[in-house]
Amino acid sequence: MAPTESPFRPSSSPRLRATLAIGVILAAGWWVRPGLAQAPPTNSQIIISGGGQRFAVPDCLPRAGDEASREACRTITQVLRADLKFEGLFQFVPESLFSALPPLNPENPNFEDWRSVGANILVITRAQVTGGELVLEVRVFSIDGKQVMLMRRYPGRADNPRSFAHIASDDIVALTQYRGVARTKIAFTSDRDATKPPRGKELYIVDYDGFNAKRITVNNSLNILPAWSPDGRSLAYTSYRQGSPAIFVARIYEGRSDNITKNEGQAFAPTFSPDGKRIAYASNKSGNMEIWIANADGTGAHRITSSQGSDTAPTWSPTGQEIAFTSDRAGSPQIYLMDSEGLNVRRLTTVGNWNDAPAWNPSKEYSEIAYTSRLEVGGPVSFDIAVIDLATRQVRQVTSGRGSCEYPSWAPNGRHLVFSCKRGNTWQITVSDREGRAIDTLSAGAGNNVQPDWGP
Amino acid sequence: MKRHSVPVVLVALVLLTGCGGTKRKPAVLTDPGARPSAGAYPPATATPEPEQPVTEGPDIAAVAPGNPSGEDFSVNDASGENGPLEDIRFEYDRAEIGDAARATLEKHALWLQNHRAAKVTVEGHCDERGTVDYNIALGDKRARAVKDYLASLGVAGDRMHTVSLGKERPLDPSSNEQAFAKNRRAHFVVSR
Repeated sequence: MAPTESPFRPSSSPRLRATLAIGVILAAGWWVRPGLAQAPPTNSQIIISGGGQRFAVPDCLPRAGDEASREACRTITQVLRADLKFEGLFQFVPESLFSALPPLNPENPNFEDWRSVGANILVITRAQVTGGELVLEVRVFSIDGKQVMLMRRYPGRADNPRSFAHIASDDIVALTQYRGVARTKIAFTSDRDATKPPRGKELYIVDYDGFNAKRITVNNSLNILPAWSPDGRSLAYTSYRQGSPAIFVARIYEGRSDNITKNEGQAFAPTFSPDGKRIAYASNKSGNMEIWIANADGTGAHRITSSQGSDTAPTWSPTGQEIAFTSDRAGSPQIYLMDSEGLNVRRLTTVGNWNDAPAWNPSKEYSEIAYTSRLEVGGPVSFDIAVIDLATRQVRQVTSGRGSCEYPSWAPNGRHLVFSCKRGNTWQITVSDREGRAIDTLSAGAGNNVQPDWGP
Repeated sequence: MKRHSVPVVLVALVLLTGCGGTKRKPAVLTDPGARPSAGAYPPATATPEPEQPVTEGPDIAAVAPGNPSGEDFSVNDASGENGPLEDIRFEYDRAEIGDAARATLEKHALWLQNHRAAKVTVEGHCDERGTVDYNIALGDKRARAVKDYLASLGVAGDRMHTVSLGKERPLDPSSNEQAFAKNRRAHFVVSR
């Protein structure tokens, strides 16, 4: 069930009082290294719930007057606001109202000032760059409760201040029942570095907001259809580097990449099971394009579909018990469901004559599958992103009139989608929320950027 | 004298029959496609064909006369283009081989029979319409349809290899009908 946006809980709520006490306890453990920051106890998770909360995120205050500290603060302010707004969980007091307030005393904020502009939650950040080290301090206050809800200190290398804001955002979002996406990454395929024919395609990863692009493959062949492992350390993908397309698994932090489908015919479109132990993919090894499953190292490969049509594009359910895939066995490409051993195959999509590239929402809260659909028949062939509710079979259209869009992938928390849209002459990575609101094109770099996969 | 005549004759016979039994005829390498052009046989003064200890099999190279390196046909360049076998085209969203393509494939089959050292990779390509995955499957169908047809014309299956490129490597990256038609193709990459 999708959580509804519950109204703000008044400060008299005993649950809120209890969790505020926990917030104070958390504040006692205040010197926490980034990455080692403990998740708050689960019973604190109702502190921030629903869209009734109005955040004030005043400018980060440099602890020293040097330019490096001020520059770090400018970046952190901008990125933290963007990260928190992106989640779509909170409201925000417009920053233009802040200038009317007396200067912020970061040690002892005047909650009445912030209440006067409508804020319930105040996020105070301070930063200092010393040598190559940046220290970010974050405190989150409940204005109504006049209490600290979160207090963290993040020391680290100063070369990427954005990452400090991302960690802080995720820790703040962790006060809700949701997991933030600010530290997640998106893998995709691009031709940006293909300088001469035959034009190669390589894999890249970027932060969820499109910054910090890194090239992963460097072999000048076709490297396409990336899929993250659940631990975020590997990418499974399809590469033509050995002539025939095969599934490779790149351990991106170890610099190695292994072909796991040697002598397997042509294999495409890998996707990890939710526990990371298995990979489903499409292969024509048996003479026809079918869905296969192998262990993550390629052993134990076995075919799980058998039809005259082409079966492609597998995606796992959040439990790993079921797989959705595309098949043209009934004439046109449609999405089918089956259990993960290939039994109990049944057709899912019935609206439209072309439905493909399913992506099962990884959150158990949302029982739905996003896919690529040709919803407007007639005229030039153009696709949109659609989502089908598995309980009601109702279809909602996520994109419309943005050019052709395809290849959806869910954020790990199931609250956002990423896909690729062709606008003008190029394909670009595009992000939206579950309902298709807040659609934005990522500035992920030059070239055609396609086949995004949203990773942990 | 007489005493010796029988062994001498026997030795002579052994020598004769031995010679007759082991003497090789010059290998006759018939490879019409390797000749410079139809009807233009080498003049009588050309160097005689050398003896070749090649045991010919279905896929063992028949080295062209006067060309010991085997450079008897051109192959695709490093980009995979400009090979000896021209592309064939497909209809939108179809993998069936049309009449024009059939005639082209018959020429290709003849060429492959005449160039037994040649191996060919049949690439199936698609236009940009439709999803990545669907087009990879469609390109696979196209490549396999071509391979099956060439096999039906007598080209050994183990000389052919299929690869689907889907819509990943269009010949013409434009988004118009002309480009789409060019991109819906089987492409042939010839190697030795």
